[in-house]
Amino acid sequence: MSTLSNTLTSKKSKLPLGERLKREWKRNAIVYIVLIPVIAHFIVFQIYPFLLSFYLTFMDWKVIGDPEFVGLKHWKYLLTDKLAWKAIWNTVVFSVYYILPTMALGLLLAVIINSGVKLAGFFKGIFFLPVVTSFVIIAGIWGWLFGGTEAGMINYMLSFVGIEPQLFLSNSSQALAVLAGLSIFKVAGTTMIYYFAGLQSIDRGLYEAARIDGASSFKIFWNITFPLLKPIHFYVAITTTIGSFQIFDSAYLLTGGGPSYATTTIVYYLYEQGFTSLNLSYAAVLSYVLFSIILIISLIQRKFLGQDSKHY
Amino acid sequence: MKKFVFFLVLILMGALIVGCSANEADIKDKEPEDPKKEEAGEIETSGKDELSGEITVWAHPFSGDQEIEGAMWKEIIATYEQETGVKVNFEQIPWANRDQKVLTALAANNGPDVFYVIPDQMPQYADVGMLLELDPYLEGFDIEDFVDTALVSTTWKDKLYGLPILQEAYTYIYNVDVIKAIGEDPENLPATWEEFEKWAEKAKDKGFYATSFQGGGSLNGTLYPFLWQAGGDVVTENNEVLINNEAGIEAFTFINNMYEKGWIPADSITAMEHNGLWESGKMLAVQGSGISVSRLMGQDLFDFVIAPPMKHKEQLTYGTTGMFVAPINTDNPAAAAEFIKVMTNTDNQKKFNTVTQYIPTRESAKDIFGEQKYLEQLAGYTQYALPGVIHPEGRTIMPLIQAEIQAMLEGKKTPQEAADAAAEAVQGKMK
Repeated sequence: MSTLSNTLTSKKSKLPLGERLKREWKRNAIVYIVLIPVIAHFIVFQIYPFLLSFYLTFMDWKVIGDPEFVGLKHWKYLLTDKLAWKAIWNTVVFSVYYILPTMALGLLLAVIINSGVKLAGFFKGIFFLPVVTSFVIIAGIWGWLFGGTEAGMINYMLSFVGIEPQLFLSNSSQALAVLAGLSIFKVAGTTMIYYFAGLQSIDRGLYEAARIDGASSFKIFWNITFPLLKPIHFYVAITTTIGSFQIFDSAYLLTGGGPSYATTTIVYYLYEQGFTSLNLSYAAVLSYVLFSIILIISLIQRKFLGQDSKHY
Repeated sequence: MKKFVFFLVLILMGALIVGCSANEADIKDKEPEDPKKEEAGEIETSGKDELSGEITVWAHPFSGDQEIEGAMWKEIIATYEQETGVKVNFEQIPWANRDQKVLTALAANNGPDVFYVIPDQMPQYADVGMLLELDPYLEGFDIEDFVDTALVSTTWKDKLYGLPILQEAYTYIYNVDVIKAIGEDPENLPATWEEFEKWAEKAKDKGFYATSFQGGGSLNGTLYPFLWQAGGDVVTENNEVLINNEAGIEAFTFINNMYEKGWIPADSITAMEHNGLWESGKMLAVQGSGISVSRLMGQDLFDFVIAPPMKHKEQLTYGTTGMFVAPINTDNPAAAAEFIKVMTNTDNQKKFNTVTQYIPTRESAKDIFGEQKYLEQLAGYTQYALPGVIHPEGRTIMPLIQAEIQAMLEGKKTPQEAADAAAEAVQGKMK
């Protein structure tokens, strides 16, 4: 049988190209028809901007007018641009404030709704509400809560426990943390859904066995639930990391990158360079920096994820 | 694997073809710039009858009442269409991120033929050759009717790029209830920094804020008026940076003093508005213009009085001049220029500024405030109004200076250090 099929294949490959294409088309027409729009979209909206922006990094181009070739000028400037490095540093600090708390809060909320508590569906809705609400509205509420005067809601509450009014968004050591808090509040609902799905997929039998062995709830969580959620941990870690490096909207809406650059993140700086200063070429350089950072982190995380899937 | 590589190469080739062809298209579009201008000039001299086609006009919501504003635009556009036979596609664009919307649309060759800019945007655009020079279209046009301070803002390097539609002047608006609470006279408002400081101290003692300071907002409403009043400036047309001279330090010190003494709210470092504090009567005064006045009249929260712009060494304030311009890559330059002329003629200036409560830029249109005392008062202050930093980097340097003021208010830098750091940052942006 195998000899027969080999003969058939070799015969087929000897057919003229036109005929082969025709056959291929007949067999897989639907695949190509479905693929063409996707590939066209991919070329126009991904590959073309990707290549064009790389070309832009070697040019001076201010939206309208002829681009001028300047070689490595913008790449060299990156090395001496203190603000760019500060923006990268701010973004890293933001990630520290944001990634683990988002995962922890998401997991906690998922455990709550998975614990069989009464009105679990209601709580699920409440916890998910910030995710479906417009970011601008959430940011407005956050800005109002963390107002830097005694009239701000949080400051008003702090006054009951004798804490002086805090500046929050107007304080360069607090502002980034307050913005991270906003992102956590906004995203934790999504993380909760991933963890909830993960929790649902854990075999109940494992819990029963542990209980029969006399394990406490904490031990069950720590030794069974937590390790079995590893694929979810990694997935959530990757998405929140990428999200944290792309943080822009909260700084744009609440602080304008201030006070004194304390909340200028890499994307905010890129935006300022591109659209306020019309320095699109340098903005393109910054976008490649951002791309490289995300690529490297994703590769590292993927390596761990790959290893992990061998165990489970 | 080979198939995959072939596929990848195919995609890359495709992308390059797309890329190259787009560039060629760009070049083709740019080539006829000059002939287009000449052609337009011919059309212009031969009269309006030769105009045809269509134009797209982008404007913003200039007033709170969109129904009345919409009717105004319809009327103005209908007259223009009737006179010229050119069809107008009017699009109202929100104020937020208007720079980006205009730039991205123009870059894609898909932008408006006429759009609205303010004086610190204009040189930035004109300097990179983005704007259509209007001089060739103005033969026999009554340009002398325009107010001089308004025309100055529409000119860059001796070429006129726009025609002004509106002016405004920012000055302090005082809450009469607070003035009375601090035992002062609403008829005798502070005219100098020293007088203002005395009032501010009293307001603070009585538990009010003296004024608002929006450290996260534009410097046109924060540092610049004080800087100009102190006799200083940011940068000259010849790239000479002045922000850290004696007058500059004085302005930085004045602001720092206001913050340290608690005359302005603690969140002033990055605040973008203090409407809540002002409207609830917790503030002595705020800087405002015609829109603030109509808002206050509409809300009827408290009585208010308007002071003339303050004087330290100079009596100056900020006040924008709004103008309509055309981009260089418009498909219909003659019709676009004609629209700008019609839009800013006396009749339309009257209609526009009556609805939007700004101040007309034509002498012959200034009689619209006959019965509106506040607007008439504000119209008198446009002579003191500077339109911002008129320099191609005017908008670029703003966040740099803003960051230094924030560092100063946080107590991380003295006024001298902050002004020096701002000067260094501004210098870095000069070519």
